[in-house]
Amino acid sequence: MSVAELKEKHAAATETVNNLRERLKQRRQQLLDTDVAGYARSQGKSPLTFGPTDLLCCRTLQGHTGKVYSLDWTPERNRIVSASQDGRLIVWNALTSQKTHAIKLPCAWVMTCAFSPAGQSVACGGLDSMCSIFNLNSQTDRDGNLPVSKTLSGHKGYVSCCQYVPDEDIHIITSSGDQTCVLWDITTGLRTSVFGGEFQSGHTADVLSVSINGSNSRMFVSGSCDATARLWDSRVASRAVRTFHGHEGDVNTVKFFPDGNRFGTGSDDGTCRLFDIRTGHQLQVYYQQHGDNEVPHVTSIAFSISGRLLFAGYSNGDCYVWDTLLAKVVLNLGSVQNSHEGRITCLGLSADGSALCTGSSDTNLKIWAFGGHRRVI
Amino acid sequence: MPPKEAVVLPSVENDEDQPYSFAVEYTGPPVTYDLPRAVPINVEKIPVAAVVSKVPLFNTELHIPVVPPILAPDRNRFSKELLLQPTVSPTSVIAFQERVSADTNNCLLSGELSSYESGELAELINNNDSSSRRLAACYVSNEHSSKLDSCDSFDKSRGSSSLARISNDDDLNKPDWGSNESVLSLDYPSSRVSSLKTGDCNNESNGDVRRPQVVTFRDIESDDGLDEEFSQDEVQAQIVRVKREPQTKGKKGSCYRCFKGNRFTEKEVCIVCDAKYCSNCVLRAMGSMPEGRKCVTCIGFPIDESKRGGLGKCSRMLKRLLNDLEVRQILKAEKLCEANQLPPEYICVNGQPLCYEELAILQSCPNPPKKLKPGNYWYDKVSGLWGKEGQKPSKIISPHLNVGGPIRPDASNGNTEVFINGREITKVELRMLQLAGVQVAGNPHFWVNEDGSYLEEGQKNTKGYIWGKAGTKLVCAVLSLPVPSKSSNPCGESLNSMNSRSVPYYLEQRTLQKILLVGSSGSGSSTIFKQAKILYKDVPFSEHERESIKLTIQTNVYGYLGMLLEGRERFEEESLAEMRKGRSSKDIEPEGEAASGSSDDIDGKNINSIGPRLKSFSDWLLKIMVSGNLEAIFPAATREYAPLVEELWKHTAIQETYNRRSELETLPSVASYYLERVFEILKTDYEPSDLDILYAEGVTSSNGLACVDFSFPQSSPDENIDTADQHDSLLRYQLIRVQARGFGENCKWLEMFEDVGMVIICVALSDYDQFSADGTNKMLLSRKFFETIVTHPTFDQMDFLLILNKFDVFEEKIERVPLTRCEWFDDFNPLISRYRTNTNSNSINNNPTLGQLAFHYIAVKFKRLYSSLTGRKLYVSHVKGLEPNSVDAALKFAREILKWDEERVNFSLSEHSFYSTEVSSFSH
Repeated sequence: MSVAELKEKHAAATETVNNLRERLKQRRQQLLDTDVAGYARSQGKSPLTFGPTDLLCCRTLQGHTGKVYSLDWTPERNRIVSASQDGRLIVWNALTSQKTHAIKLPCAWVMTCAFSPAGQSVACGGLDSMCSIFNLNSQTDRDGNLPVSKTLSGHKGYVSCCQYVPDEDIHIITSSGDQTCVLWDITTGLRTSVFGGEFQSGHTADVLSVSINGSNSRMFVSGSCDATARLWDSRVASRAVRTFHGHEGDVNTVKFFPDGNRFGTGSDDGTCRLFDIRTGHQLQVYYQQHGDNEVPHVTSIAFSISGRLLFAGYSNGDCYVWDTLLAKVVLNLGSVQNSHEGRITCLGLSADGSALCTGSSDTNLKIWAFGGHRRVI
Repeated sequence: MPPKEAVVLPSVENDEDQPYSFAVEYTGPPVTYDLPRAVPINVEKIPVAAVVSKVPLFNTELHIPVVPPILAPDRNRFSKELLLQPTVSPTSVIAFQERVSADTNNCLLSGELSSYESGELAELINNNDSSSRRLAACYVSNEHSSKLDSCDSFDKSRGSSSLARISNDDDLNKPDWGSNESVLSLDYPSSRVSSLKTGDCNNESNGDVRRPQVVTFRDIESDDGLDEEFSQDEVQAQIVRVKREPQTKGKKGSCYRCFKGNRFTEKEVCIVCDAKYCSNCVLRAMGSMPEGRKCVTCIGFPIDESKRGGLGKCSRMLKRLLNDLEVRQILKAEKLCEANQLPPEYICVNGQPLCYEELAILQSCPNPPKKLKPGNYWYDKVSGLWGKEGQKPSKIISPHLNVGGPIRPDASNGNTEVFINGREITKVELRMLQLAGVQVAGNPHFWVNEDGSYLEEGQKNTKGYIWGKAGTKLVCAVLSLPVPSKSSNPCGESLNSMNSRSVPYYLEQRTLQKILLVGSSGSGSSTIFKQAKILYKDVPFSEHERESIKLTIQTNVYGYLGMLLEGRERFEEESLAEMRKGRSSKDIEPEGEAASGSSDDIDGKNINSIGPRLKSFSDWLLKIMVSGNLEAIFPAATREYAPLVEELWKHTAIQETYNRRSELETLPSVASYYLERVFEILKTDYEPSDLDILYAEGVTSSNGLACVDFSFPQSSPDENIDTADQHDSLLRYQLIRVQARGFGENCKWLEMFEDVGMVIICVALSDYDQFSADGTNKMLLSRKFFETIVTHPTFDQMDFLLILNKFDVFEEKIERVPLTRCEWFDDFNPLISRYRTNTNSNSINNNPTLGQLAFHYIAVKFKRLYSSLTGRKLYVSHVKGLEPNSVDAALKFAREILKWDEERVNFSLSEHSFYSTEVSSFSH
């Protein structure tokens, strides 16, 4: 078979695939008779209202000297790890707002960080294409730096996101610019499975985000520059369980809905979307019309513990709090009093859902919580 | 209160017109009342007091400004009112004065409005009465002084105010001063009356307001010695340290936030403003303490110098409130953060305030002056002697530090007419010299080196060593003169160590210039990076790196071998097919079996075939390559396979394939460099040379990112040295090299590099006839990549340097392959023949080669593309990645661009044209 013939066949096959995909899309459109907001409205739900004390900035965590890129909470103790442009990881006590560790990274270009479920170690990854694990209990060296306890190397592109598998301190899932996600065994430092890549059906562009299902830790979703999100079963590396189309731009962030049956995405097309992993349908689009042509990208999202609220950070500095049921913006965290001066780059809910932490390009992190009757300290 | 602390103004009538007023010490008889004290205030809090001048209440209706002497509640109240006023005048501080008409002595009292923040006094006085509100209320009824919100009452109270004030002083203030002072003296023991700029005196123009003298108070560093030093020097006098003062309403000794507790409750003190917080409030008031124990509002402000000693010392309260790790982080931040460092301009060496770099040099030298405090120092660079200005030497620090100005003869205020290194020495030193046996008759001028060897000025031979004798050190100890410490390094070493010294983190941020080097794979950006490492680093590659490089090279060689073997198989098949074809055309035998049987016979003779043992190795190698496990297996298996490889390499089939290597597309051109020396390389004790490393692929960062910190070596003396050169050695550069994997990538990660100073884009010139797997010209792909980078929003207004790499290959290639192979360059019509024949052409380059012409053509292509995309100028340079000088020139060019960038602010836009000519002329 000559090259020309092959090319012809390939083109034909691509054509077929695209046609089928289009038909699939149309079929889905037909089946999709409503979205969440429409249904909720028909059920007579009324949108949430926010009182003045319902979400207050109650702590400001200062200490980074560069933009904060990523943050993560520990599951039980109120600690936060944050990664910043200044090449440091800082572990915070969210209650006292003090730092417990400041880790200077060997590679300053860090993009993501994660706290281990037991709270004993933190992981980070970045442009060095490695995921570095720091054990918080290890002794500091002469210069007062915490040594790297493990490096997970094997990615061929930057590590864009990492998350520990819940309840396991030894497994971590990373996403990378090499179009793959990898499940690692931290004890051995080896790849357990690679999701995507050359020969498998995976993402066709940089993977930017992963989120592991909280109720079924075998399932995780990944969002990629190919404008899709994919659902994976960590036991089946060969192919994605499902591919979610719909976005018209890079999917910057994915986050599982608290119930584990849905997940939210945030994209360069300025929308957040809610997908159902069981049906594969898109449930809702969250999009706020802006006057100008410039559509702000969604850079980070987080769900409240009930799922009723979706916090979404935008590239123009807004941080909307969406009512997920009615698809209405109920608050803009970016413009409330005491808010960040820079744009909000990362978001995270504490495990008990009592506090929201935002990291910003103004180098600070802020803790937001209900400020009504409960007084914190 | 000692009277000399008070500021008393001598006269008032004669200096209406004088912009300056001077305070002198009061020498008269003791006064019966307490003098109001000038409280140092925050000069920058101008708006507060400033409002006054335009306020009608003062300017027009009032005849004599009357102000309650120093009643703090008034002040607070006053300033609050002032804040409400919409107008602002530049006057920062207004001192109200009035003559006490009853007394004829010319004693003037100056009350002074401080910013509302200076609550220290307010607090003290509030202590007198239980609550400030009550006091404020009662003062109105008492007519202590004017009621500020009503002009009428102001006027009315005028007459009584002066009398009332004195009594007021007596009954109200007196009991308080004692305690007042005790607190004040801690914080601002000396307040200085200084001159006021004329601009600030615009109040004087206000008709009937009689305010001839205006006094501002600056608060200076707490020790008086320094105060004097500052006034000695005009340059220094301008440096005003802004002191922040806490605001409090609570009673004395209570927490500044919750106003509870008393002076005995344990409190944490802000290291900037001296605010005190109880354990309940400290976390709220100080927040996350990114700079140590400072109020949230004080973050970023320099600390109170008197508290420098306590930096990094933990208090019991912190220990109780926070856990160990947290306390450690706070104290570390307190000690190391930039805002808490000694401000360099407060240190004056030989009459020159230091800059950050100089202070860093001073503090990081092998033998630094201990416990450096703000002040004026002299430093003898030759001998390393160091002392306070006007005093004998206190220490011998590392010599030859490039710090401060030249030493002055009167630096140590000596009067002995004996000079050491141009400084007149003090009597104590002279005594020491005499005891050390140095001949000092005839007022000699000595030249003393850091090792203590001394010679008379203008003479060559060393006369001896000052500290040579054991007795001298004893003498020095007795006279409390310094002796050289043992650790002091010889001069050469300390000079060298300057470049490699470790810079503190906060300084690193300031002086590090980041240069991003991007290039797609095959553009040679990694070669440039490696070249920079070799050029500027003393140890370009560590032992560990060399080891891993060696393994990479060996793995690469196996890879090349694999490609050869693959080629061999292909050639073998081809030749077999040809043979078969030839035979089938010859033989008309229909049986395929016979044909294959006979081909087996021929197989042995086929030049491209190898023996079964080698064949199995070859198959195995190819299998590994296909599975992509080469890296995982190879370096480890080197020892085992080296003999086999040797045999393989010597085999004619491989040699034959090697000779046809140009037909193997996958085999990179560098492969031959290694394959020729395959035995040597595959030895276990192989040590890669710098050139090997330069040639090696995938060495710098298989992971895509590598960075190297370097500073350009100081140019040798015969090169042109400009004054900025010495400063240059302080500048550190960081070359960050990132390899883009594909061409059309989204490059999300580019956002991480928004803080770089400039971007170098590397494009291989020789790519113009290369094609990628899908048949696109690589130069076009490079162009696309270039477009992606330069139009990336992160790099808005960034400077770009385009490096057209592999110029050597390009020059050679262009003679064979026309540039028009790439459709982007299809209008390249060089007038080669004319240039070649007409050697006397007027062109600057008498005879530009075709390569140079083509380079200029391509450079212009890129420049046009760039200016069409961004409307700015592109810097272009050509580089031969393998030649150190070429890379050095390019990187120095990058440095120049960075410098221009700094200077550009000072130039007008028209200067841009100058840059562009510079650019085009550079590359020759």
